[in-house]
Amino acid sequence: METLHFLLQGFDVATRPNNLLVALFGAFVGTIVGLLPGLGPINGVALLLPLAFAFGLPPETALILLAAVYLGCEYGGRISAILLNVPGDAAAVMTTLDGYPLARQGKAGIALSLSAVSSFTGSIIATCGVVLFAPLLAKWAVAFGPAEYFVLMIFAIACLGGMVGDKPVKTLMAALIGLALATVGVDSTTGVYRFTFGSVSLSDGIQFIIVVIGFFSVSEILVMLENTHSGQKAVKASGRLLFNFKEFCATFWTMIRSSLAGFVIGTLPGAGATIASAMTYMTEKRLAGSGGKFGEGDLRGLAAPEAANNASACGSLIPMLTLGVPGSGTTAVMIGALSLYNITPGPLLFEQQPDVVWGLIASLFIGNVILLVMNIPLVGLFSRMLSVPNWVLVPAISVISMVGVYAVHSTTFDLVLMIGLGVFGYILRKLDFPLSAVILGFVLGELMEDNLRRALSISAGELGILWQSPISLCLWALAALMLALPGLRWWRARNKARLAHA
Amino acid sequence: MYVRLFSAVWLLLCAGLAIIAWGFQAPFAYDPVGPRAYPLLLLALMSAGSLWLLFKPGVLQQQLHLPSAKRAVLCVLTLLAYVLTFEALGFVLSTALATFAMGLLFTGRLLPCAISGVLMGVLLYGLFDLVLDVPLPLGLFEAFVES
Amino acid sequence: MKTAFTRIALTTACLAFAGQLLAGEPKRPECIAPAKPGGGFDLTCKLAQNGLKDGGLLKAPMRVTYMPGGVGAVAYNAVVAQRADDPGTIIAFSSGSLLNLAQGKFGRYDESAVRWLAAVGTDYGAITVRADSPYQTLNDLVEALKKDPSSIVFGAGATIGGQDWMQTALIARAAGIDPKNLRYVAFEGGGETLTAMLGGHVQVTSSGLGEVTPQLEAKKVRILAVLADDRLPGKLADIPTAKEQGYPISWPVIRGFYVGPEVSDEQYGWWKQQFDSLLASEDFAKLREQRDLLPLSMTGDELNAFVLKQVEEYKTLAGEFGLVQ
Repeated sequence: METLHFLLQGFDVATRPNNLLVALFGAFVGTIVGLLPGLGPINGVALLLPLAFAFGLPPETALILLAAVYLGCEYGGRISAILLNVPGDAAAVMTTLDGYPLARQGKAGIALSLSAVSSFTGSIIATCGVVLFAPLLAKWAVAFGPAEYFVLMIFAIACLGGMVGDKPVKTLMAALIGLALATVGVDSTTGVYRFTFGSVSLSDGIQFIIVVIGFFSVSEILVMLENTHSGQKAVKASGRLLFNFKEFCATFWTMIRSSLAGFVIGTLPGAGATIASAMTYMTEKRLAGSGGKFGEGDLRGLAAPEAANNASACGSLIPMLTLGVPGSGTTAVMIGALSLYNITPGPLLFEQQPDVVWGLIASLFIGNVILLVMNIPLVGLFSRMLSVPNWVLVPAISVISMVGVYAVHSTTFDLVLMIGLGVFGYILRKLDFPLSAVILGFVLGELMEDNLRRALSISAGELGILWQSPISLCLWALAALMLALPGLRWWRARNKARLAHA
Repeated sequence: MYVRLFSAVWLLLCAGLAIIAWGFQAPFAYDPVGPRAYPLLLLALMSAGSLWLLFKPGVLQQQLHLPSAKRAVLCVLTLLAYVLTFEALGFVLSTALATFAMGLLFTGRLLPCAISGVLMGVLLYGLFDLVLDVPLPLGLFEAFVES
Repeated sequence: MKTAFTRIALTTACLAFAGQLLAGEPKRPECIAPAKPGGGFDLTCKLAQNGLKDGGLLKAPMRVTYMPGGVGAVAYNAVVAQRADDPGTIIAFSSGSLLNLAQGKFGRYDESAVRWLAAVGTDYGAITVRADSPYQTLNDLVEALKKDPSSIVFGAGATIGGQDWMQTALIARAAGIDPKNLRYVAFEGGGETLTAMLGGHVQVTSSGLGEVTPQLEAKKVRILAVLADDRLPGKLADIPTAKEQGYPISWPVIRGFYVGPEVSDEQYGWWKQQFDSLLASEDFAKLREQRDLLPLSMTGDELNAFVLKQVEEYKTLAGEFGLVQ
């Protein structure tokens, strides 16, 4: 009851006209920043926070602004992924898989509007989750030790089995290349530098953002170059801008499932939106079986990662609010921002400053509604991006990608590295290696090795630690189920056939 | 054919990297795995994959189309030149030049490309540096600001 | 070494009349935080940014740039090689950077390659356990370690040779145990370590004090010892030091700034003076406290001497612990 009371109070604060205006502004800026590759919530927050100070906004208004920017970025990341095949942020990598084919088929409007609704569903379900289960989930997040993380990665890899498709060796190779790229840099257990070739610039390894922008943005530029000359016309957005009821129904359960899964994964510090979106995408692909056109513009393949990555973004607020531990790079920045207002997120936040917490949660709800309302009419505008001629569009993409990398690293070395990776990605693409597998290998690689070795450091080398806790046992079982699913489906189909026969 | 070539190169690369990886030794480690085992495992798996592809490359429709390869190389060179002049010339100038060159590569006409190049250099600088607070190098323009 | 001495001599000479002969404020002042946004270096830069602005010591807005990599190694190399004479750029550093510098992880440059400008605050190392842990004092922990070094799992946000590891190793040495026989888990940063301890995956964390104080208020953790020479001021006064428990281990984590090696003496002097006035002001003290940093003020030669001494000490330590072959 108390919860409800606080929440209502939060809504009361968040719906004041000036706060609504601030939320609208934040949502807009967030969307724009989010759609620029490389720039994300970190830049959005960094940009607006000084403004909030300059205008002397009270803490709750500043928080609303933060929440709106954060959400806006999560919405924005999908736009360039769908329209240009260039993910606006790392979590949108999976969105490109089916979003871009949809756009090529002239269904950009449908893809944009449906993904907006998926994002909305994901965020709303996750926010409800935060309201209802925050304290409970804090316990769940804490229960995840290195051993559990390792098994979670095994589970994730088992899910990825769905990606293998018709070229298993190439997919495997691609994933291995990703895993190998992740080993560059300091070994976080022993401090040994691996594959740095004596360069300090590589001492922290290759940053994720460089890999994503290199592999997607730069290699996409090269592909576009080819298409420009081979006379392939750029597609124009045509037909409906909005999805219809049938399409909504077809993706409804996908959204719900992916939102829940994304939320749960998002609450784990460090696991993050990329893994959540990948896992849900693969799971949906498995569930759809041969009935899906995943990879060629299946709406479910669009809805799943979008719902999951938004849900996970909201979920990652739980460790931040309840434990004071950043669940992601963005929440780290938010913690910094909160501390400027003398608010220290941590175990006491819910007790000591309920108005702040509930104000934030209420503004998440409101921010979402604003974003949905704002995004639907903008679909037409965004999809017109496709009719910008290539000789303007492509240079713009390359410049923005450069700035995206430069913003986080400020060294030309990383820019050169990005181009190198882009060329490498282009070659891989030409040779038919799936790039998304490389990216996922890269994300999973570091977490997997580190956590395995951490677990073994804890147990002094005993392997038993990997299946000691109930959580890891469950995850092993789920992983086994994932691997067995195609077999099960085949068995069921055979049975059905036999029944039909008899 | 190309897959075979790639696999062969990759195989060699794996071998070279394995030699480097063999040298990863910590003064001491608390975990039984150590810094060396995992990279070596990956390299071994990748070599196996490369070997497989070397013998069974599968079908690939891609054909090397010489003119478009040439253009791709040009495009990469443009991007590299852009990156390397990024700090020296400053964002505005290097961006204007690079977008101009890229525009031409993408079949733009001379004048519109020049205009869009200049506009992009100036406008994007304004957008990122002044509005979005991403510090960008001024390069040659520094002199004007200093005085 | 010789260059360092000449430099010291030069700076001293200049400082005498620095007040009058100051170069003006640099155009486009910039603070490089050699890490990703949101971390400790970001905080250090923001502290200077806000402090200098609020105190009217810097008129142009100072911007924060991020250059992550190797606890400052990337920024160090970039500044020495490319921006050696840029008067507008100050770069944040911490004891962690000095430690890596001492272990030769900063590439080809050593500690005399830049001009150390000012240290603006400090944190201290802390040894923390969960509130329900059987260890009440540092002594309990050391005794348990003596009995069986493998009975306790230490967690920390640093690799072998990092700051948090050093603290652990010092404790182990105090217990008469080879640090190699400990059980130690390296996490990615203090947050993860803390989560792992709250979840019972590790029993003891070694970290900076600032990282655990929020949990202390919530009574989730107990700080066995802060690695400072004396008790800390204010609400932290209840935390016992390692020294008073009979283990003379001190681990300050200082935070400060340096500038490029070829920044002119006038410009260097100007920055030094700004920082001197900043560090003397009441408002800044408040700002610093807000960011969980404790007072420490050192600028110019004093800092330079301190840094050189510190790096030497770190080198010795690294040698003793067998980190440098």
